[in-house]
Amino acid sequence: MPEVIIDGKSYKYEGQHKLLQFIQDLGKEVPFFCYHPSMSIPANCRQCMVKVGQYIVDRESGKHELDDKGNKVIRWFPKLQTACNIDIADGMVVHTQETDELVRRAQKDNLELILINHPLDCPICDQAGECPLQIQTYKYGPEGSRFEVKKVHKPKRIQLGPRVVLDAERCINCTRCTRFTQEISKTHQLTITRRGDKNYPTTAPGTEFNDPYSLNTVDICPVGALTSADFRFKARVWEMNQTPGIDITNGKGCNIDLWTRDNIVLRITPRFNMDVNDHWMPDAGREAYKIFNENRISRPLQKLDGEQILSSWNNAVATFIEQIDNTENKNILVIGSPHASVEENYSLAKFSNLMGLNQPVFVPHLKEGAGDGFLITDDQAPNTVGCRLLGFTELDQKALKKEVVKASLVILLSDHLLDRNVLTHKDLDGKFLITLATNHSETTKRADLVIPVTTAAEHAASYVNVDGRIQRTFRAKETKYTNRRLDMEMSEGRLDRYGTNFDNWVTEDNKIDCLPVWRFISEAAGSKGLDLVLSDGREIMDEISSTHNPFKGVSYQLMDEQAGILLINDSKEKTNA
Amino acid sequence: MAYEFTKEDLEQIEEIKSRYPEVMPATLPVLWVAQNRFGHVNPEVQNLVAETLGLPHSHVHGVAEFYTQYYKEEKGKYVLDVCTCLSCQLCGGYDILHYLEEKLGIKKGETTQDGMFTLNEAECLGACGYAPMLQVTNDQYVNHLTKEKIDMLVESLKKGEKPEYEKIGMPQRENI
Repeated sequence: MPEVIIDGKSYKYEGQHKLLQFIQDLGKEVPFFCYHPSMSIPANCRQCMVKVGQYIVDRESGKHELDDKGNKVIRWFPKLQTACNIDIADGMVVHTQETDELVRRAQKDNLELILINHPLDCPICDQAGECPLQIQTYKYGPEGSRFEVKKVHKPKRIQLGPRVVLDAERCINCTRCTRFTQEISKTHQLTITRRGDKNYPTTAPGTEFNDPYSLNTVDICPVGALTSADFRFKARVWEMNQTPGIDITNGKGCNIDLWTRDNIVLRITPRFNMDVNDHWMPDAGREAYKIFNENRISRPLQKLDGEQILSSWNNAVATFIEQIDNTENKNILVIGSPHASVEENYSLAKFSNLMGLNQPVFVPHLKEGAGDGFLITDDQAPNTVGCRLLGFTELDQKALKKEVVKASLVILLSDHLLDRNVLTHKDLDGKFLITLATNHSETTKRADLVIPVTTAAEHAASYVNVDGRIQRTFRAKETKYTNRRLDMEMSEGRLDRYGTNFDNWVTEDNKIDCLPVWRFISEAAGSKGLDLVLSDGREIMDEISSTHNPFKGVSYQLMDEQAGILLINDSKEKTNA
Repeated sequence: MAYEFTKEDLEQIEEIKSRYPEVMPATLPVLWVAQNRFGHVNPEVQNLVAETLGLPHSHVHGVAEFYTQYYKEEKGKYVLDVCTCLSCQLCGGYDILHYLEEKLGIKKGETTQDGMFTLNEAECLGACGYAPMLQVTNDQYVNHLTKEKIDMLVESLKKGEKPEYEKIGMPQRENI
């Protein structure tokens, strides 16, 4: 097997690798800015310089040439090489900054050059704390600058598009953003303009940067040149918690990170998953943070004399049961939701089953032509396939209306059917509507009983994407009934760890008074004397996997290990056996 | 004003495109065609070039912005690039520049009211042996400048006569 010697240690390898990626995969480090594993390699930042060579071998004897001290003599490349674009080869000897003074010096001087015109505004820069330039200057950079004249001034605070703001002075011209629009989103909207120390990325005159994936350039920008117009100045990076989650705004199920502070989701960024979204996500999915924070239903709502008033959980459970008891089973319609997780739908179905009600029906939320074949799908809901795999009856608008006409009590799981024009107010005339929902909407306004339930940011539950891949979320935000310090699965930021309820950075109001669907169902079943206790998503998934064939072998642990599991796949039996 | 290529231009552009296996390399020569036609490649002309070639607007913009020889805004009929880099500077490049500023009544970087002249300060144009010198609209060099030579140049340009290309031999060493 070919081998390569890096910093005096030998590593065997197979196949073709770029040196920088290979070193990174070993868990070692070489600083870089412009390289990105998913894009072409321009090698223009010149930061990943290393020394590369080969042992000199005598051709006839096949012996290594030795120097006076008995060390093998290395024939170096005449100049330092950029590690990002050099292929490793058998017998290659590499010295990185860890062992070589020359490499250290080269990297340091390169940073000094990059920093010549870079403003020292880290204290007011959004990127600070997650800035490769800041981190690598700290680790490899010079102590100070020898540059004593005025820095070049370039445009600042340029609104490139509706969602991205440019600060050209901070730009180091790595071209990651322009390569992204050329190679990944293929809109070709960005280019580098001018030259020399005056260059910076921009759009063609008269056009705006309205790429549906534009915010990815903010993520890959190694400095604070491109910032999100929405997230700008909202929080410092180190104040937030980062919790893995799943994008619930379309059917692709992009892997995301939810960034929270004081139980408010402040931004959403993509999380790497080779099989789903690579490093990217659509801009629309990032807007979803608003769903988690704003317009939330907190405490149950009940209609009295045509007006919704806040109610108590006891009242809500009692009304829920009372309505079911007072209605003939055949007049009750239970509607599941592609917007709710597998576990939520399952809980509802199980309850429905035990009460002798119908197997839940659901209406897919499709928008024809909305998809782009990349990460945006026609499917507007995160769990359509999940509903199908649970065996729910898929109805179209017409069929649902027919069912609704027959019913006098409608139980609706988080799906805003009035808002998406599947049902009209007329369809629901004279019927009692119970909805379990996360956010206020036309539908919840109409409802006679509204049960507030948790969002994807507040419960751990799984969603099956359009490709049949099941992935799960983690609890990122506390509700009134969860506690970050007791819940081993919740991440704690500094402010959470060192805050008490009496600190001014802790706001009790940010915790929503809502329950996971399964908790509410358990309460309701309990008051009916049914043997139905569903405590959390993990256990529910174990139950589903033992009762529903498509979910066979699925568990939270496996989902975490494999970053999601393909449920619809011919080779499934083999991989999950 | 809407910019449009003439039929001849389009034929020329087709010929240029046929020289390369891809369209992208044709950007530079086609920008020249545009500049020769319109006298500049402002953003509208850049978009025209992009649409003619079927390339992204941003690409053509980036290329046009990179080269100083492409004029991104309307210039005078004659663009005078006066070299003030080291050799010319030592031989009086700034004197020439300031004389021209005075004569034309404009500052460097500006265009005269009648749209005849644009005056620029340029970096080294590679004619250090004939300093001080200037270049007329990306084309002829006028070397060994003096105030008299400037007067004559401006007069003849006003009449529409461009200077001749000048051939200057290398200085010969005597008594080898």
